Formats: sequence, C-alpha cells, structure tokens
Amino acid sequence: MRDDQAGGDIQRGAPSLTSRSGSRKCARPIYQDMVAPCNAACPVGADVEGAMNLLREGRVVEARDLLLRENPMPAVTGRVCDHPCQTACNRAFFDDAVNIHAVERMLGDLEPEVHAPVPARTRKEKVAVVGSGPAGLACAYHLARLGYAVDVFEAEPEPGGALRYGIPEYHLPREVLAREIQRIRSQGVGIHCGVRVGGDLSWKELESHDAIFLASGARLNRPLELAGQDPADVRPGLEFLREARAGERSTVGRRVIVVGGTDTAVDCARTALRLGADPVVICQGTRADLSASTEAFDEAIREGVRFEFQVWPVAVQTSEHAEQEEAIEAIRVMYVENEGDRPRTRLMGVECVRMRAVEAGPSGERRSLPIQGSNFLLPADTLLTALGEEPDLGFLPSEITRKGYVVKVDEFGRTNHPGFFAGGDITGEARTVAHSLGSGKRAAIGIDRYLREKAGEPVAETGPKALRYGGTGNFSITRWRWDDPVHRSGEVNEVVPFERLNLAHFKSVPGKPDRHRSFEERRSSFAEANLGLTPNEALAEARRCFNCGVCNQCELCLIFCPDIAIQRHPDGHGFTHSEQYCKGCGICVAECPRGAMVMMKEDR
Amino acid sequence: MSQIVIKDRIPREELLASGHLACPGCGGSLAMRLVLKALGPRTMITLPAFCWTLLSGPAPRSALGVRHLHMAPGTTAATASGIRAALDALGDTETTVLAWSDIGGTSDAGLQALSGAAERNEDILYVCHEDEAGMNTGIQCSPATPWDAGTTTAPTGAPRFHPRKDLIGILAAHRIPYAASSTVAHPVDLIEKVQKARAIRGTRFLLILAPCPPGWGVSSEETIDLARQAVRTRVFPLFEVENGQRWRFTTDHPGDPVEPYLRRQGRFRHLTPEQVRRIQSEVDARWETLKRSVESGS
Amino acid sequence: MKQVITGDQAVSWGVRLARAEVVAACPNTPQAQIVEELSELRASGDLKAHLIQVESEQSAMAACIGASSAGARTFTATSAQGFALTHEGLHRAAGARLPIVMAGISRTLAPGWTVGTNQDVSLLQRDAGWIQIHCESNQEVLDSTIQAFKLAEAVSLPVMVILDAVQFSNDREPVDIPEPAEVDAFLPGRATRRKLDANDGALTPPALCMEMRLRQQEAMAEALTALDTLDEEWGQRFGRRYGAIESYQTEGAELVLVVSGTVAPTARHVVDQLRAKGEQVGLVKVRLFRPFPATAMRKALAGIPHVAVLDCNLSPGHSGIFAEEIRAALYDLEPGPRPVFHGYIVGPGGHDVRPETIIDCIALTREAAKNPTVCEREDIWVGVRS
Repeated sequence: MRDDQAGGDIQRGAPSLTSRSGSRKCARPIYQDMVAPCNAACPVGADVEGAMNLLREGRVVEARDLLLRENPMPAVTGRVCDHPCQTACNRAFFDDAVNIHAVERMLGDLEPEVHAPVPARTRKEKVAVVGSGPAGLACAYHLARLGYAVDVFEAEPEPGGALRYGIPEYHLPREVLAREIQRIRSQGVGIHCGVRVGGDLSWKELESHDAIFLASGARLNRPLELAGQDPADVRPGLEFLREARAGERSTVGRRVIVVGGTDTAVDCARTALRLGADPVVICQGTRADLSASTEAFDEAIREGVRFEFQVWPVAVQTSEHAEQEEAIEAIRVMYVENEGDRPRTRLMGVECVRMRAVEAGPSGERRSLPIQGSNFLLPADTLLTALGEEPDLGFLPSEITRKGYVVKVDEFGRTNHPGFFAGGDITGEARTVAHSLGSGKRAAIGIDRYLREKAGEPVAETGPKALRYGGTGNFSITRWRWDDPVHRSGEVNEVVPFERLNLAHFKSVPGKPDRHRSFEERRSSFAEANLGLTPNEALAEARRCFNCGVCNQCELCLIFCPDIAIQRHPDGHGFTHSEQYCKGCGICVAECPRGAMVMMKEDR
Repeated sequence: MSQIVIKDRIPREELLASGHLACPGCGGSLAMRLVLKALGPRTMITLPAFCWTLLSGPAPRSALGVRHLHMAPGTTAATASGIRAALDALGDTETTVLAWSDIGGTSDAGLQALSGAAERNEDILYVCHEDEAGMNTGIQCSPATPWDAGTTTAPTGAPRFHPRKDLIGILAAHRIPYAASSTVAHPVDLIEKVQKARAIRGTRFLLILAPCPPGWGVSSEETIDLARQAVRTRVFPLFEVENGQRWRFTTDHPGDPVEPYLRRQGRFRHLTPEQVRRIQSEVDARWETLKRSVESGS
Repeated sequence: MKQVITGDQAVSWGVRLARAEVVAACPNTPQAQIVEELSELRASGDLKAHLIQVESEQSAMAACIGASSAGARTFTATSAQGFALTHEGLHRAAGARLPIVMAGISRTLAPGWTVGTNQDVSLLQRDAGWIQIHCESNQEVLDSTIQAFKLAEAVSLPVMVILDAVQFSNDREPVDIPEPAEVDAFLPGRATRRKLDANDGALTPPALCMEMRLRQQEAMAEALTALDTLDEEWGQRFGRRYGAIESYQTEGAELVLVVSGTVAPTARHVVDQLRAKGEQVGLVKVRLFRPFPATAMRKALAGIPHVAVLDCNLSPGHSGIFAEEIRAALYDLEPGPRPVFHGYIVGPGGHDVRPETIIDCIALTREAAKNPTVCEREDIWVGVRS
C-alpha cells in the first residue's frame, strides 16, 4: 500500500457504467414519428413533410422524386391548388405558414431527368382510362408505376381536360402542362386523343381491358334562366375560357358580368379583364360562400375585378325592350364608346335583385332570398355563367349506379359494376384539381387490389384508414406498395398538433410570399401572373418547415440528456435509448422541437 | 434553417458517463456534462461536499471521466489553488484546474476561500452550478435562496424576503479576468463561455443556472424550459464581465413577466400577489443596474 | 555550516533543503516568520516551491491536500488558532494518505491570549491520523523537518513537526545546516508521484471505510520501524540520532522524569545536577508521540520505581495528555516492574518551566513515594500562582 493507492482496492477509472441507474423509472421515452398536418391536409396525399426534410439537406432531386411518388403533377398543383396544406401548417401559429405551394411548384418546374427509367411492365393486365383530366392522368400514372399497361382515351384533340380547357393561361401556362403530361407519358402511359369512348370506341371494345377507370369530368354547364333571355345572350363561362385558351379572338364585350362564385367564374372575369373588359362577378352568397380559392379571389380583386355579393340576376335588358327607355339611355350614357372592333350584342344590362341570407329548415342550410323591391340594373354587354358543371353521364353503361347526377363510388373508386372504377368530377367530390389527382390515386390502388384479388394473389390487408395520412388525409400509394424511403421510427398514424411542438428552438422568420407580375402587366397579358419564388427562396421556405412529427436528427434529445442515455444509432439513422441508464425524466420529449417523441408509462 | 441547430457546435466527446445517481432531470449533471465537453480530458476537478459527492456514484465507481478530488465544504477554491500550484511545480501548465461547487459551497461556506483565490488571481476556473439552495442535504435555506422560496429550514410559514447574493458582482469587484453566467438551456452559450474562459489565465468564474426539479418543486422534464424562462424573465440574465469592467449581454432578454415563472414552481406557490409584485420590481431593478453596467462598460 | 538561527528559520531551512514544491500557508504568530522566510527565499530564487499565501488555515490545509493529491511535495506551517482551524483537513489528509509535512507550533489556544507555549493545540490533533514529532532544539527542528518528508513519503502518512512557541520561534541557537547535496543523497526526488485519479473521499460503503482505517493503522505501525531506519541513516550521515524516545541516565534510577519539547533540555540539566549529587534520577524524552512508541516506553520505564510525567498541557476533566497515554501504556506491565505513576502539570500558557519547577516535581514525587497509597489526583499542578 503505497503512493498510488488510497484505502482499499479502488478500481482505477472504473466508471459508473456498471450501475443500473435507470432501473427505477416509471416512464420511458420512445421515438415515434407522427404525421405532419400538411400531409394529412393534402387532397392529393403527398408527403410534403418528407420533401421539406430532404430539401433542408439540399437534396433537391430526391425531394422532387419523393413528391412524384404521390403527386404526378407538382408543377400544376403548385400553381392551381388552394393549398389546404398551408392552412393546416403548424408554422402558421408561430409566424407564417410555409409557402408550400411555391416549393412544390419549384420542384415541379425542375428539368426532368433525361433518362428517367420507365417502370417495368410487371403485370399482364391492361387498364383503360376514360378521360385525360387530372383524375385520369393520375390514375394512369400510378397504375403504370405499379406495372400495368395503361391506355388513356381522350375525346378532345389534346389531353389535359379541365387543366387545358378550364384553367386560363395566366394561371397554368400551356408549356407547364405539356411538361407535366410528358412526365406522365414517360412512365409508359399511352394517351389516345380524339377518341370518344361510347362513340368512336365502344364499351364492348374496351372489354379487352381488365379494368376501366371513368374520369370524363364534368362539363355540362348549369343553365341560368333569366326573364327575357335569349340563348345568344348568355354564354357558358367554360366555353369562353376555351376560346380564350385556344387563342381565338374572344367575343367578349366591355361590360362583362359573370354569374357564379366558382373558380371558373373568377377565371372568366380575370380572362375578360385581360381582353380589355371591365368585369363584375355576381354571387348569390356572401364572400364566405365563395367556392373559388382565396388566392384567386384576392388576385382578381387586385387586378380590378369587381364583385357583387348577395346579388342575383333576374332579367336581361336588351336593346329590343321598349320600356325603360330611360334606363337604356342611362346605360348608353354610362357605356363608354371605345375604339376598335367591339362586337355589338343586343344585351344592354342585367336586372339584379339583392339577396339576404336566411336559415332554412331543420338541416340548418343557409339559403338566400331576394329582398323585395331591391332591384337594380347593372350595365352589361356580355353575360357569362359559371354556376358549376355537371358530368355528362349519358354515355356510360347503364349498369353503373348513379347517385343523383354523379357516379357513386367507394373510397377506392369502385362503382357497383365489377371492373369499373370512377374518379374526379364525375363522382361529385370536391371539385378541385388536387382532389381529382387524389381520387385518381385511390382508384389506382383500388384497381391494383381488384386485379390482384382476381388473379388469386395475396393482397395487402392495409385498409383505407391505414392508407390515409393521419387517418383522415388522402391515401399514400407508398403505404400501399413500397418501402417508405424516409426513415421513420415507430410511426403512428396521427397528426401532430401544434401543442406538441417546442418552439423555443425556432427563430421567427417571416414567410416569403409569391412574387407577382405587376398589375399593369397583368391586365394586358396572359403571361403567368404568379411568378412564384426563385429556387433559393423556395429552399429557404423549405428550411422554415418544422418537420412536424418526424425526427430530423437535430440531436437536441441527445444534447439535453443529463444521463447521456441517448446515443446515435450505428446505422446513421435515428437514436438508441439506453434501458439501463435512462431515468425517464422526460427532458428529451419536452425539448423535441417537432413532437417526434412521446413518453410511455412503464408497467411496474 | 429556422430551427436553431446546435448539434455541430457541441463537442462530441463525453467525459461524463452514464450510471450516475443524479435525480431524473438533474440540471447539475447536465451542467457538468457540458462543461467537461468544453474543457476536454486535460482537466482536474475538485468538488466540495454537495450533490456531486453522492451523484458520481459510490466508491469505487465514478461517472466523472477526468481526475477529480472530493473535499470538505467551503474549501473548493483553496484546494483548487493547491492543485494548480502542484501542477505548475511539476511542469504542467496545460491541465485546467476546475473548481466545481454548488451555490452553498460558493456563496456561503466557500466564499472566503473563493475571495482569497480571486484576490490572488489564482489560475483556476471556478464553476458554480446554481441550483438555488443546498440541494443534497434536504434543501436548506441558504443566503442564495431567492425571495422566500419554501425550503426545509425556512418553511414558508415564516417567509423572509432577502434578495440573493450577487455572486458575479462580488467576483467582478475582485477584478478577475473573466466572470460570466449561463444556463443548461443554452448549451452553445455555455460551451463557448467555458472555452473562452479556458483560454484565459487567472481566476475565471462561471455561474451556471441548473434547475433542480425536486428542490424547485417541478416535474423532471421541466428543467430546460425553466432555465430558459429564467433568462427570458430576466431573473437570470446571461452576461459576461471582463476584468470587472467590461460588461456584455450574451443573449436577448425579452422581459417576460415573472409571475408565471414563479407560479409553476412548487417552492414559490405560497407567494401572495403582493410578494410577486415585489419580486417583479426587484428583478426589474436589478436588470436596470445590470444594463447600466453594460452600457457604461462597453 | 553552522548558523545561529531561530526555530522558524530552522523550519525554513528544512523546507528549502527538502526541496518542497508547494507551500500553502497563512501567516500567524509566531509562525509568521516561516512564511516570511520562505517568501524571501522564493524571491531570491533559493526556494523553488510555489508559495500560496492563503487567507486562512482551513484553506491552507485544503490547498495542501489539493497539491499533494496532484503529486507535489507539500508543506505548511501553523500555530494556535490556525492550527485548530486545520483540524477537519487534517483528518482528510491522513485518511487520504497524503505525505504532507506541517510545522505546528504549540502556542496557547485562546482564551488566554498569549504567545506562550501550550502543547494542547498540537496534542489535540493526536487522533487526526498524522505522525507527530516533538522537538527540543532548533537543530532537532531542522533535522526533523527534513526527515519528516522522507518518513511521510515512505509510509504515505502526513507528518507534523511540533515546536514549542516563542522559545523556538524567537530564540536563536547554533544549528549545523547540512549541505544541499548531502540532503539530496538522503532525500531524493520522489520516485513515484501520486496521481489524482482515485475516487477519493466520495460516498464510501461501510466495508470500504473500515478497510481504509485498518490500512492507516498498519501504516502507523510501519512508521515506527521506518523512523528507526531513517534515524539510523541520519546518524550515519550527519552524526545525530534522536530515536522515538530518548532515555537519559535511567540506569538504576529510582525516579525518571518524562518530558517533551523545550522542557527536556532544562530537565536534562536538572538530572545532571542531581546525579552529580548522587541522586538516582533520570529522564525519558518523548519525541515521537504518534504513532505512540508503547513498546519502547515500557522498555524504558519497566522496573523504575517512580515515574513523573511533566505535561505542559491538559485534557480538561482528565489529566495531562502525556501522563494519560504513558500511564495506559504502563498498565500492561506486570505489577513488579510497573512504576508508581505521578503526573504534573507545568507551565501551560508560557509559564516558565525553570529548574526549580522540575526540582519541585521531584520533591513532590519523593513525598508521595513515602505514602505508597494511590494518588487521589491524577494531575498535580506545580508553579501555579495561588
């Protein structure tokens, strides 16, 4: 016992590692990825959060490819979708929601890979898709990637459906649409234009296909019946848009009235504006009842479109009416004669009445009723209607069950008729491009399951709830067929609420809104109005994403653990937790910025 | 990215091992872990009798991965002075001598030795981990216990209102080269300050707020959030002083109201609204004084 | 070389020649001169040690523990109140087996503010676990200081070298100061350095605690042998031997005085005088008090009819401390050889212990010897002002 020892055999440097200091814990933390609210809110069912996470690391192409797994048309949705993902974005409670649609658009606009691989034809079945709108194209895309041969039949001379004919150029430029459609073609999808199913091609001939997806959209305009109306006086808005889109010289006057509160109505007004008109949109309901997207409305207002809410047209005033000469004279006075070739119609004005909202009946549905004696006159030389469209079901086989004026389908897009599936506007779901894309995906999954069951193969038991992001969002095709490329720990199919986040670890950075062309430019051109963000700005926005619910390896849990009970996982993903040393204090869970951890009670 | 990512600014080497006996959520153990990361293995620690005497594990186990010496209370700075002299005599001027103490061992029994060492400008780094009351012996009331906090020797039936000793002020008055405050909720700030201190010769003092869940009457997972809130409310500002003259804040202090900070802690639940107001005005007054030092010194 | 120096200066020489590496001390009367001397030596470069002038003796001992734990040859000096302040640290140092050397001056513990001698304060520390050596002359102080380092490092126990106040701190005596090379040959630099890496002093389970104490005790036992060996070597090198105790003229003595410290030279003088007159008187000087040299003591005193212990100290409620311990040691002797025991309190507080005082003690002893009954009092106070 000399210099180097103190009393007894003290082990040199023997650390406390032999101690089971965590043996008394009453709760333990676990890594449990949850679903980000944006994913659950996306009508297409895109892995928005996953893409943001990749972008944070600068992995741009991987982020794009991750989106493309679920959404074939990010360049389109980034422009036309009303982004419910942003409404749900948790960041909005902190400062500003992430500008998700601008990021999506930037990814969609990236140059496609020159030699992208075509999915292998692993299935022997063939599927026919009727209609090349967003629903049809999405279904075809996903089915091709599932290994099927797909033929899309489109009645019009060019593919795209509502995307081509219903959305104006300033909103969705045709070269963008062309690239998106090419992306779908490049998956091996055959698109046959100028072929009308039920006409050029009979249903009988289609029986050679093993399944059929009906996605012919809704193009029948709801009519407007006004007193004194002549068919020539009132034009369907969609037709007007089509003409404008085709570059035909429009037959719109100066005083344009658009009746309806839909996106189409707003598009008509903004298109008319660009053609030199002074449009007014008439809506029966209030601002809140507008079904058009908020953005479209805001942009229309800024461009100079006027809106009249709680107003309804009742009669047309034409140059043939003998009565109300004074009124007509007044109109003529108000009417500023312009130079140039402005077509004359007989239409001079529209008599309108003010409406009031009334609660009606047991369902509590609000209705509008005219206020007696509130009639007034709006000058007009053009009257467009955009009251919504209905699908044309006449061409469908009679076996297919209707529900009112739409086709009845289940969550997987199945109709009652075996082998027939339907999606998009024909089914009467929410009428947006994104919803249509989403329904196309669901049907692709439905068709895949149907065909596999038919072939006697084992089929995954994954039910609809499990396929849906957060149990309530749209389906994820990744969950259906492939391994998730994103590393997740013990994923729970629930949405992360804002309260689970720890905001102390974020600094407030205001969101970057889209750039727009100046109003002056916009009013006179069909060039794209919304310029989005530059790639760097979009990446900066992506970095603002909280990555709700999914561990992004920030390591705060490891840094703040007083017991050093958390280690990096040897494979580089995620973390391991020490059973022996963790005391269950809960600091890691409390500090996790994104709610990707939870405390579980121990059984004692 | 807008998350303040800190993982690349935290040295990876662990010099504190798992298996120590600290309570769940112990701020002091996290403080030690972070300080040792900043100092590296060429460190010798001396500790007086307080939580760490037990925390490190019963002999022959120890969670501390650097050489250390457990000593009597009140002697920390003197022991450190001796170690420093020995190392210098043996030709080792690189090893950092770290005197580590709790608030009791610094502000009460240890203040004499600390003052003596500071006066001699001993080349030691003194870290006081502020847990606000002597925690390992059943929570007594020490002169550093703030504002009527409920403790076992001053149960709240007989509250005493006396503000804490301003330790950094005391040390600054000794004109030591470097004194600073930090918390376990600000790991980058803490590590940077330790690394800065390490590079300076002479007496360096760090006051680290390390909440003690049992002592503060909070749940174990609140440690970090509490320390953060202490800074936000200006109860515990983060600043540094060089040579007793140049004062500098090292973070923003929004000045959130003190009341929620007090009410969430079991030890302060007894405070009346009047007492809370008094505390708020004392916090405000101290803040103003500190601000003046910063403004006049920089 | 021979110089006339004070006890404090002798200590300083010892520290310098032993090449101490760290000295931590707080100035205190009458030890202050040690600190001053060492400061001057440091300033002149003759002393290479790092000096820490701490603010209290508690801190001094703490600093020594730190320094010694870190592997340096460490020294401190103290007296009186300061000595008492080191107490907690003394236990710590001994339990941790640190080879610290301390010069402790036996100055009276207040109240009774005086700078005079009283052995209370140093004997108070007998249970702290330090080796304790009492000196009677400045020469012995210097020699013991150097020896202390070697002894401490040999058995890993701290050593305190005790000097009586005033006589030592202020009185000058001729001292033979060895050459540095000679001391280096006796006390080389430490071959092994203690490193600060054991988990000393942390929460210790009872079994380990007990074992630690046993080891301390074993080391103390070793110290007895080690001191003998050292002493032998010192005698060969420098011609001076001290031993654990020194017997002087005890052959055939009827009465032997037991003394320590500065009472010893006076007592020796008295013994010489009385022997010259034909009286059978001798003395035993206690040098090593811890470890207690029980065997040597018994051997020296067995068969002596009367033993008179002179204590310049008191354990209130009992007796003089040397008396108490020696009496207990003698208890193991068979009744025949066991002396009759007499304990005297002389001179605490700096009260001069003159030859007359000692002669009084002898007279009282002889008086008591005529009545061979058990003494009622265990302490007889000699020289008290009535």
